[in-house]
This record gives sequence, structure tokens and C-alpha cells, in this order.
Amino acid sequence: MEIEVEEKEGYHIVSPVGELDIYTVPLFRKVVLKLEGDRRHDLILDLSRLTFIDSSGLGSLIEIWQKLQSVDGEIAYVVSNPRILKVFKLVDLDKVFRVFPNLGRALQDVGVTGGYVDEEFFSDLT
Amino acid sequence: MTKSSSPISPDAINRLVVDLPCGKKSLARARNKVMKFARDHDFSAEAEDIVLATQEALKNIIQHACPADNNMHLECTVDHDHMTIEISDIGSGFDVGDVLDTPAEPMASHGRGIQLIKGIMDGVLITSEQEGTLIHMEKKRYQA
Repeated sequence: MEIEVEEKEGYHIVSPVGELDIYTVPLFRKVVLKLEGDRRHDLILDLSRLTFIDSSGLGSLIEIWQKLQSVDGEIAYVVSNPRILKVFKLVDLDKVFRVFPNLGRALQDVGVTGGYVDEEFFSDLT
Repeated sequence: MTKSSSPISPDAINRLVVDLPCGKKSLARARNKVMKFARDHDFSAEAEDIVLATQEALKNIIQHACPADNNMHLECTVDHDHMTIEISDIGSGFDVGDVLDTPAEPMASHGRGIQLIKGIMDGVLITSEQEGTLIHMEKKRYQA
């Protein structure tokens, strides 16, 4: 797995590429939690290039969400792969995470509160 | 000769047996083998669900079972409308009721593996004793 990090409009945008599973989660956690120390930026996790996620990958996303919540940080998720969205829905994370279909929408609407999924967009994919 | 209505060729190998060392590095290898087996037997529409369930079952062994022989045993079989995956070990076992009866809270730090398996497979049976654990999973063939 590769992990790309960008800074844009006050956000750290973290893009894991490939598989986020029990094998790659330690690297992903290390990269993201290191960013957490920089409180100048909130976080967007761009998961649009994930090809696979398992329960360990989901657990790492939840851990990061909880850490950001505890310091009143903003966090949003970009999911364009219907397969990944299906896994989110299986464990009800779509009701908690703010999930956007692309990075542009995430940057535009990340200020909305509570769980959010663009159902109209995803209805064409699922 | 009349062509069979079954999507499975009479010559196809309808059973896959794989033994793997107990460790994270075995997961990608197992996923690749199960994905190929599923696609070879016309379970392409279900293959990603089957692969995720296999991953979660194997992870359960890696994280909890510590089998004495360091081995994870995987068997896949197909018939006309089902694919069956069995994952077993000879580890120390665990309390099946704890994992089957209590769905993980959305924000819980763990416990989602079995929840995922139950959500994506059509049948799940787990038996676990001191001699080891068997996770039996079934997936129906998608009917268009």
C-alpha cells in the first residue's frame, strides 16, 4: 500500500492506495496519527483508490475518527468505490461518518454535521 | 451431446484445499486463490464478498487461535448454486456465543469481523472447542 498526503484548503488529505487490511493498517495508523499532532489542519481521508478493506481497516478509520472527535477536529471520508461503501453500510459506519463521492464535494461540504452520505450519487453505484 | 444447464464443467475441479502458515503474510495469498477459484466457477458476482469473508475468518485464527501446528486450513467447494468455504484450525477455541450474539457497536474498537461475515454470506456456522475452530460459510450463486 502507498499513502499520499497533501495539504489543501486547511485540510490534510490522506489517500491510501491499494489494500487497507490487518497487514497494512500499522503503516496507515502511523502516517495518520503522526499528522494528528499538527492541529493546524483537519483531515479528509480520500479512500477512492482503496481496492480492499477488512475489519482491521475499518477499526483504524474508527480510531482516527475518535481521536479527531476528542479534539473537536473535522474529519470526512471520500468513497467512490461502491464495494467500500457496501462494507461501511454493513457495520453502520455510513450513519456516523461524513462520506462524500469525490474530493471536491468533501472540500465543499465538509462543514455539515453528523453522519452524511450522498445517497443520490451512490444510488447509481450500489 | 446435450449441453448441461450447469455453469460448472464436468471436468472442472470443484474443490480447493489450501494450508497456510498462520500469519498476516498468508492473507493475500489466500485471497488470491479464493478469488480465482470463485471466478473460475462462475461466482464472479459474489467473489468479493467471498474473499472478504475468507479474510475475516483467517484473521480470526491469526488474532485469537494461535494453532499449535501454526497452520490454517482452507477448503472451498462448489455445487450448482452454492459455494462453501470452510476455515479451520487446531487452536484453543473461543466462546462462539460472544461473537455471534453480540453485534459490534458502530464505534467499538473491535468485533466487526464476524459481523461482516454474517452480513455478506448466506449461511454461517461456527463451532469452536478446545481442540480447535471450524468456520463454515455458504454463498448462493447470484441469479440475474
